[in-house]
Amino acid sequence: MATRRTIPFHWSFLTVAALIPLIELAFPGNHHVGDLLRPIFIMAMLGLGLNILTGFTGLLNLGVAAFMAVGAYSYAILTCDIYPFRLGFWPATLVTVLVGLTVGLFLGLPTIRLRGDYLAIVTLGFGEIVEDLLKNLDSITKGTQGINPLPSPSVFGYQFRPETYQPWYYLFLGFLAVLVLLNRNVLRSRIGRAWISIREDELASSCAGINPMKMKLLAFALGAAQCSLAGALWASYLGSSGEPGNYDFQVSIIALCMVIVGGMGSIGGVLLGALVIMGFNSIVLETLTNYLKAHQLISSSNAFTAPGNWKYMLYGLALILMMRFRPEGLLPSRQVKAELHPLEPHAPPPSPSP
Amino acid sequence: MNLLEISDLIVRFGGLTAVNSVSLDIPSKHIVSIIGPNGAGKTTLFNAITGIYEPTSGRIYFGGGEVCRPFRWTTALTLALIGIIAALSLVLIVNVESLWDTAITANYAYQQTFLWSKAAGAVFRYFGEEPGRRVIIPFLIGALVGLAGAYAIWERSRRAPEVAARAGIARTFQNIRLFNQMIVLDNVLLGMDSRLRTRFWHAALRLPLYWRERQESEQSAMEILRFAGLDREAHQLAENLSYGHQRRLEIARALAMQPRLLLLDEPAAGMNPAEAQDLMKLIHNIRDRGITVLLIEHHMPVVMGISDRIAVLDHGEKIAEGTPHEVRNDSKVIEAYLGKDD
Repeated sequence: MATRRTIPFHWSFLTVAALIPLIELAFPGNHHVGDLLRPIFIMAMLGLGLNILTGFTGLLNLGVAAFMAVGAYSYAILTCDIYPFRLGFWPATLVTVLVGLTVGLFLGLPTIRLRGDYLAIVTLGFGEIVEDLLKNLDSITKGTQGINPLPSPSVFGYQFRPETYQPWYYLFLGFLAVLVLLNRNVLRSRIGRAWISIREDELASSCAGINPMKMKLLAFALGAAQCSLAGALWASYLGSSGEPGNYDFQVSIIALCMVIVGGMGSIGGVLLGALVIMGFNSIVLETLTNYLKAHQLISSSNAFTAPGNWKYMLYGLALILMMRFRPEGLLPSRQVKAELHPLEPHAPPPSPSP
Repeated sequence: MNLLEISDLIVRFGGLTAVNSVSLDIPSKHIVSIIGPNGAGKTTLFNAITGIYEPTSGRIYFGGGEVCRPFRWTTALTLALIGIIAALSLVLIVNVESLWDTAITANYAYQQTFLWSKAAGAVFRYFGEEPGRRVIIPFLIGALVGLAGAYAIWERSRRAPEVAARAGIARTFQNIRLFNQMIVLDNVLLGMDSRLRTRFWHAALRLPLYWRERQESEQSAMEILRFAGLDREAHQLAENLSYGHQRRLEIARALAMQPRLLLLDEPAAGMNPAEAQDLMKLIHNIRDRGITVLLIEHHMPVVMGISDRIAVLDHGEKIAEGTPHEVRNDSKVIEAYLGKDD
């Protein structure tokens, strides 16, 4: 075991991310990186919400897109001026988080005794139900059109504009940093310990005095609240609630991919997973497509040659390869554990008992 | 005085009677062993005491009362609250779209002021038109489902393991059940969890209580590890410990719960004689701290060496009980272990 003190990945990620727009400003040119990172931050928040449920507590949730949809639609209904509420950015975000918390509890309460595959199926069904509801509650959600346009947020007196990306970038990065900090604090307290003990061995955990129901409900509420916050920011970014199809099963699977590729239960891992999966989607595939098009290697008439159409295959392949060669993820949580006590002298190998 | 009193306990799984009307009194601050051939129902008895299995019949009294969640007024209040929330949710779900139309769409013109009082009036009128179908029936069904569901979950969790744990019964397992991906110190801290007062917001915002309690709890966890002889391994992952140390860590985790009764399920299994000697010393020290120990063990030197009393189970029934000397010479015990001499 290494004894040197290392900077946790999530802090270096956030620091580098904070510098990117400044670097782009310092070297004028046609840059995209900062612009492309914004959706990655939002997906990372979704991943952090799922990580509480699946990574820390071991509850496999295949319906986080539904929590995100709840967040996006709540935010849209509360801010859009075709409805009477017309709240500002902060009150709307706060109410959205509370709505997400409540929805998490509503899903958590009846499913509290389910485990493993059964819970996965229920959450999968929940995701489908929410999508169908959003499609069919026409007068509330405007059906498949989605709710738009949403006013650009105004934060501390500053009016956001769609053309300049930097304020948005720092707004989302700020939210992500706060979530990382909260998640880390909770993980390194008795709550995180109890969650992990439930994931490891629920029976032993309850025999040690942990109330698994309470802790699972807490995980559900917090995870759902974070996912719906991601949804609210997503809606403010799009200027629209998006249409119900934007929150389908594929989004849940992408979130799960991020958590698995990054490393279950590791906060830095989720950030890395979001960067790898979403970055692959919006940077690598995009660049590749543009390059191939520019050199006339693919034609738009043949759908099979477009790299973007292969992405779910590639995600599947990535998952299989991860499970085969590195099931603990790129940045496993054991590292996080070792970071807990970086300065403690490490014990010599256990000596045989006398 | 008896700390634990078991009377006429029966545990049945379908047609199999694993424990058949066993009565057993465990006096306070004693070491009592339960022995018996494989499949005699010893571990089932432990699981019934710790709330993992629900007894088919019989009573378990611990420290003068039954080990189960009491029905308090807060329980009633919570159940009622869940029922009402479920009822209101169902009313809302059934009417959601027409409610939205009458209250919001009909009263709001684009970017005009919205009168909440007018909307509230429209809601009342809407419910007033057809109260039976729109309010009363969904409310009753929701209340019924919510109450019944909440009560069923509460009833099934009355004897949950955490209830026994919080009452002061700690245990170890026959096949070691540690939290392997957690470090040794965290395993012990987990045992302390029910005594900590840190809440979510203390932890999330790192309020002073979090820091104070973290320091205190880590200190006392280290003391417990020192007592169990594991302080040098405190920062290793539990799965990296040797077998004997893992057994000790399980005991340390149980001790961190500050139990009044400690149940040890075959603690000496797989240990060599020297390790077993050490373990006996540890169990003696635990008893000297005022903790009653109930022990399942096959290792006869250990059992005979430390027990104040021994109970013998065979085929789910108690066939003998007494001091080590009495049990050793009991004809029924010899028969159960060695077979009948015809």
